[in-house]
Amino acid sequence: MNRNLLWRGLVVVVVVSACAFSAFPLADSINLGLDLRGGIHLLLEVLTDDALRAEAQKDIDSLIQELAEKGVEGTSALTETPTRFRLSGLPPDQDGLLPTIIEENVPYWTWRRSGEEVIFERRPDEVNTIREQAIDQALQTIRNRVDEFGVAEPVIQRQGLGSNRLVVQLPGVDDPERVKNLIKNTAFLEFRLAVYPESGGAAFDREEILNRYGGTLPENLEIAAQDQRDDNGNVVGQVYYALERRPVITGRDLKTARAGLGQFQEPVVNFSLTHEGAQIFETWTGANIGRPLAIVLDGKVQSAPIIEGRIGESGGVIRGSFTQQEVEDLATVLRSGALPAGINYLQQQAVGPSLGQDSIDQGTRAFLFGIVLVILAMLVVYKASGINAMVALALNFVLVFGVLAYFGAALTLPGIAGLILTIGMAVDANVLVFERIREELHNGRTVKAAVVSGFGKAWSSILDANLTTLIAAIFLINFGTGAIRGFAVTLTVGILASVFTAVFNSRLLFDLLLSRSGRVERLSI
Amino acid sequence: MEFFRNTSFDFMRARRVCLTLSAVAVIAALGYIFSRQLNLGIDFAGGTQMIVQFDEPPDVQELRGLLQEAGIENASIQAFGEEGDNSIILKTPVADDEEQRSSASRVEEVLERRYNSDVSGFDLNRQGTEALASMLLGADPDGMRATGDDIGAREHYREAAAEVMALRRTGGLIRDWSEIQPGEALSPEALAVITDGATFGHFAVQSSDSVLPQIGGELRRKGLLAIAFSLAGILTYIWFRFELRFGIGALVALAHDVAVCLGLFAFAGYEFNLTTIAAFLTVIGYSVNDSVVVFDRVRENLRRNRRESLVAVLNRSLNQTLSRTALTSGTTLLAVGCLFVLGGDVIRGFSFLLLVGVLVGTYSSIYVASPIVLIWETTFGRARREKRAAAA
Repeated sequence: MNRNLLWRGLVVVVVVSACAFSAFPLADSINLGLDLRGGIHLLLEVLTDDALRAEAQKDIDSLIQELAEKGVEGTSALTETPTRFRLSGLPPDQDGLLPTIIEENVPYWTWRRSGEEVIFERRPDEVNTIREQAIDQALQTIRNRVDEFGVAEPVIQRQGLGSNRLVVQLPGVDDPERVKNLIKNTAFLEFRLAVYPESGGAAFDREEILNRYGGTLPENLEIAAQDQRDDNGNVVGQVYYALERRPVITGRDLKTARAGLGQFQEPVVNFSLTHEGAQIFETWTGANIGRPLAIVLDGKVQSAPIIEGRIGESGGVIRGSFTQQEVEDLATVLRSGALPAGINYLQQQAVGPSLGQDSIDQGTRAFLFGIVLVILAMLVVYKASGINAMVALALNFVLVFGVLAYFGAALTLPGIAGLILTIGMAVDANVLVFERIREELHNGRTVKAAVVSGFGKAWSSILDANLTTLIAAIFLINFGTGAIRGFAVTLTVGILASVFTAVFNSRLLFDLLLSRSGRVERLSI
Repeated sequence: MEFFRNTSFDFMRARRVCLTLSAVAVIAALGYIFSRQLNLGIDFAGGTQMIVQFDEPPDVQELRGLLQEAGIENASIQAFGEEGDNSIILKTPVADDEEQRSSASRVEEVLERRYNSDVSGFDLNRQGTEALASMLLGADPDGMRATGDDIGAREHYREAAAEVMALRRTGGLIRDWSEIQPGEALSPEALAVITDGATFGHFAVQSSDSVLPQIGGELRRKGLLAIAFSLAGILTYIWFRFELRFGIGALVALAHDVAVCLGLFAFAGYEFNLTTIAAFLTVIGYSVNDSVVVFDRVRENLRRNRRESLVAVLNRSLNQTLSRTALTSGTTLLAVGCLFVLGGDVIRGFSFLLLVGVLVGTYSSIYVASPIVLIWETTFGRARREKRAAAA
């Protein structure tokens, strides 16, 4: 055997064994796509305007307060857009106050006088910063929430640079509704003083409370409802409280939250407080012993226990008629931090486990049948040389699976289709070569010459034919999402592998055959 | 075995007939497509699509009525999968109503009322692993919480729940208590909690997709761009590698293939969705691939023998590559045919398109691409130019 052959043989052996090493055992190394494995794919947008609006409101409040401290009372603001508001009630001769107040408190706003009003606009770079922060924070919050869920390989990422969209992929998760609610949950928790009923209990209708205050509620109060549930957790009615509008502390002041069991073995959420939160809460609860404290979640009262003593950093218990699942989700959401802005689902995809399994079974069957039929066809047409094509085909799949496994590319149902298509096309390169060899043999060349010139002449066709398909496949990779990308990737890898196996490996096999047996008179083709 | 040894078919002789036939086919296909709305999938049109499996064959007619009553308009329902799967595929053009309630959850409510009126409590066919784990954790039959390791307890019950839910992977839905047996993580006590507190309803949602129209529009645009770019890429390549007339031939053959396949695809009533775009790009690649192999041979023969007429060269090249064309198409057809027959309903449309794509692409590489080269040459080619020059 000459050196050249040895070298080429070595290359084939190394490449193939590297791929085989990467690909086996197949079941562990190949990453199944969501459509085969089951799971959830969500595309959501972060409504960053929410965050801008909230920031604007904060700044308006501090602006009005500062003006009042400087002696200008009675100013008010009207928010026009999330980045723009009109301040009225400031006399034009007081404009001189604005530059320092803005500089010291809200430096990211520009202002200009327009008649009776002053128009404030947020600086564009600052608008971007807030949007970016909102998206980053939403990403982090969602990541925290999903991590609690025990998902093996979650994907949570921005859809593209500068986009306000997030992609969430949770393979294997079979509770789509629960996940969607968990991610979207604002879980806005507040601790507020219940002013009526003063010493516990609740009112059975709104009128009872209104009557108590002579028909209209004072400015600083509002009525909030609490759901009454039966043993199965179904809502059977509501009771009401009059609450102070201003919360004592909110979910932001919580340090931890954990699902636990209450004194009657009922599911509750245990929480502890941050240092600052605890300081406020401790003083406040100390001053209000004996009065009811309403725990309000997204505007609904969960429970209104009587304050029995000071509550500090060690925290307390959120009771309500919760199920186990609800306390777990509530604890998760409270722990993960609040979403800075609302979330809107643009695309939701949930694949149950059995559908994926069906697809795997059907895809595998089609794949195996396809391979067997194609191999039979090659053997019938090219006799012994068909074996060469068969080896090429087998190696082709070792290479494809090896590359897929190495890059961790997900195998999807269209990906399996791509593999099946590759079976058909992979033999194309072999066919081009074999046909050429046959022609050369018919033209009376020796076997050796026919093989050499067959490979030589077929090369141009192989290159052109595969490159055109490759161009289409590469555009598809860039365009595609999820399943489609899986198809394009397997097709691309399949094409490259088929060129390698057909040209490099098949040639090697022929050359080996020719070098061994001295002068070869006949070639079975 | 050799099918086509030293053939000398006169392919070019039939060029008028074939081109006429092809032209008619293209016009018919385009006419068919434009005379009606394409059956767009939800990823392009927006909407909701669900696959639901029942424990007994559902009454599709009745379901349509119920959805209509519930205000879910224009829902299409078809049987899905094999006989005995008792599955339906349901499509509505609406993803969200005004209150952002998803169509999927509204459909589930309708199904719940109709099929699960006798079922209450935890539904093993509707809820998932995490929910079941929560339920078990709440009841704590294995006394795991006493240890104080809440995370460990959660993990333990999650594994137990996963064992139960794995039954749905094979059977689609759980129909009988005898299917659930204690296992590695599922203790008899935990199983008792499940039999006590849970039940199984009469249907399971196997998949649910929903896309807002806004996203559908974007995907449509991106899909068309992908096709446009890959066409441009392929043509640029051919332009570099071959003379203009071959590029024209390949391009016309390609346009022909796309139009005819699109027409057949629409005629067969398949849904046009993201995977269809993938199939189309593949057909495009395949179609050009076939033409290019023939042209490669033509180029070679032209170089070797400059005297021969173009018709003769084309014919000879087609004959020389005929065996390859037949064999490659044959093996690809075998593979894609397997996919079409055995690959299942989810990608039936996709495999259909590949199947007709290979057939039409093979035909066009012989009967469209080469004749166009000939026509281009006789109309605009050198011979024509010389004649004009002589006349002037």
